[in-house]
Amino acid sequence: MRVLVVEDHAELAESIVRVLRRDGIAADIAEDGEEGLRRAAVVDYDVVVLDRDLPRLHGDEVCRALVARGGDTKVLMLTASGTIADRVEGLSLGADDYLPKPFAFAELLARIRALARRAQPSLPPILEHDDLQLDPGRRVATRAGERLALSPKELAVLEHLLGADGRVVSAEELLERVWDEEADPFTTTVKSTINRLRAKLGDPPVIVTVPQGGYRI
Amino acid sequence: MRLPSPTVRLRLTLLYGALFLISGAALLAITYFFFRRSSGINLIVPNGGHSNFSRQTLEGIESSYAGLERAHERSLHQLLVDSGIALGIMTLISIALGWLVAGRVLRPLRTMTATTRQISEHNLHERLALPGPKDELKDLADTVDDLLSRLETAFGAQQRFVANAAHELRTPMTLWRALLEETLTDPDATIDSFRATSRRLLALGEEQERLLESLLTLASSERGLGRREPFDLAVLAEAFLRDESPEAAALGLRIDTALGPARAAGDTALAARLVRNLLDNAVSHNVPGGAVHIRTGTGADGTFLSVANDGPPIPPAEVGRLFEPFQRLGTERTGPNDDHHGLGLSIVRAIATAHGAIVDAEARPEGGLSVEVRFPVPRDVGKPTVAVGGSQRVGSRHSGESRDNP
Repeated sequence: MRVLVVEDHAELAESIVRVLRRDGIAADIAEDGEEGLRRAAVVDYDVVVLDRDLPRLHGDEVCRALVARGGDTKVLMLTASGTIADRVEGLSLGADDYLPKPFAFAELLARIRALARRAQPSLPPILEHDDLQLDPGRRVATRAGERLALSPKELAVLEHLLGADGRVVSAEELLERVWDEEADPFTTTVKSTINRLRAKLGDPPVIVTVPQGGYRI
Repeated sequence: MRLPSPTVRLRLTLLYGALFLISGAALLAITYFFFRRSSGINLIVPNGGHSNFSRQTLEGIESSYAGLERAHERSLHQLLVDSGIALGIMTLISIALGWLVAGRVLRPLRTMTATTRQISEHNLHERLALPGPKDELKDLADTVDDLLSRLETAFGAQQRFVANAAHELRTPMTLWRALLEETLTDPDATIDSFRATSRRLLALGEEQERLLESLLTLASSERGLGRREPFDLAVLAEAFLRDESPEAAALGLRIDTALGPARAAGDTALAARLVRNLLDNAVSHNVPGGAVHIRTGTGADGTFLSVANDGPPIPPAEVGRLFEPFQRLGTERTGPNDDHHGLGLSIVRAIATAHGAIVDAEARPEGGLSVEVRFPVPRDVGKPTVAVGGSQRVGSRHSGESRDNP
């Protein structure tokens, strides 16, 4: 899952992104509204966490532009003025959810995951394949009832492959959905992560390599 | 039956009716009196040479005279009764007409009452806008409209202030909570990361304290002055420069002073805050290698402190906004280590107003801001004979009395 955090308060934005990454969500920062729109035009984000009071381009305008562009991107608005009128206004602009500041990270994460699930409505809350199970909310994967010790990145790769539901997922797609801008697209990060994941998943092998295509479960 | 409440309409109607009744009765009385005097039956009995009327003739004349007089009395009485009836009818008609006329005259007043009653803090933008010629009622309506627009401005400012204050307080709270949670929920957190977070939270707390202190200063200076003591603006400016010039020197700023004695009266701590905020503003919104010009002195109409600084150009239309709470220039935002909350100049204005001083600010064409604060010359510490221009303001202890400059 890939998330864009549009927040002008740099320290807060960095803290949010650190927590999201720790939870296996690929996250990028945009410091103002214009940059936010520019980034959202390049990468197809699952969720945009949008501060309402942004310099250069107000959060409302960014939200309107994102909604007008269509697509599956969900918008979660953050605001420091949490009056009911404000929330109603924000939602009527097309925001999919609203969170007043100050917020709890647990709630922010839960809301981001809920929004991402709505973007792919067919996905069940717990992903399954044979004896392999993954609970995206609790960040837990099990195989034959045994809990797997996966790193956040490995868990995110597994989540994306399971969510693809048998479809072939290219390395580029994995790079865009699971890694954020901190990843270097020229490294063999994807391959090595897949290899580590395979080793941890054990036998029989679950992840199939499709020549010239990518990976599939 | 319940008596109708003594409305102005009813009272006016009764007044009209009573006036008509009195003047009508007086008119009738006068008419009656004159008519009675002029319409009597005069019997002329010739004396002297022709007084050969027989006794019979005389008696006949007397009896017919008595008959005529009775008829006259009857017709006079009839006149009185008829007039009384007419007066009664006309009084009733005049009461009815009075009721209508009073209603018509009072209609604008009723409209005004109804409209005013519907105006609350949610629709302060509505106005009475009474049509018609310029008369007393229109005057009243216009006065109410003026009051409403002043209230609307004040309410708007208040609402903006509260919204901005909430925003300014919530933003660091959010960061505070985020940093705490981030560290607490981090399974790999080390003592060092806890230490770093604690230090950052402490710094954030100090920032919050400064913001709260600024808000309190603003609130208390808007309430007016609690005490009045003499101070010298030049001394306050010197004290600030002694403490703060290293900071200005670090930024490579040139400080150019011309400090003449400038005695005024008021709350010394607040005045020092005014000086500090103005100079702080001039230093922190400067450009590298820029200058700050500080002048104090006594002029004809009071003492003054003038601070001008180099800086980025300011659109002249923006200058007034800079004195509103939480306003910063253009897209300027607070950074993580910036303790300028956009309250500095609004505090300057509030303190100046509390002292009866006038703040003039203008954007300098070469960039930067020039602010002059003129204090009235105090009666009790200056020469009382000189203090003609300012004596009126010194006397006003409440800021509201001299707050006609926006």
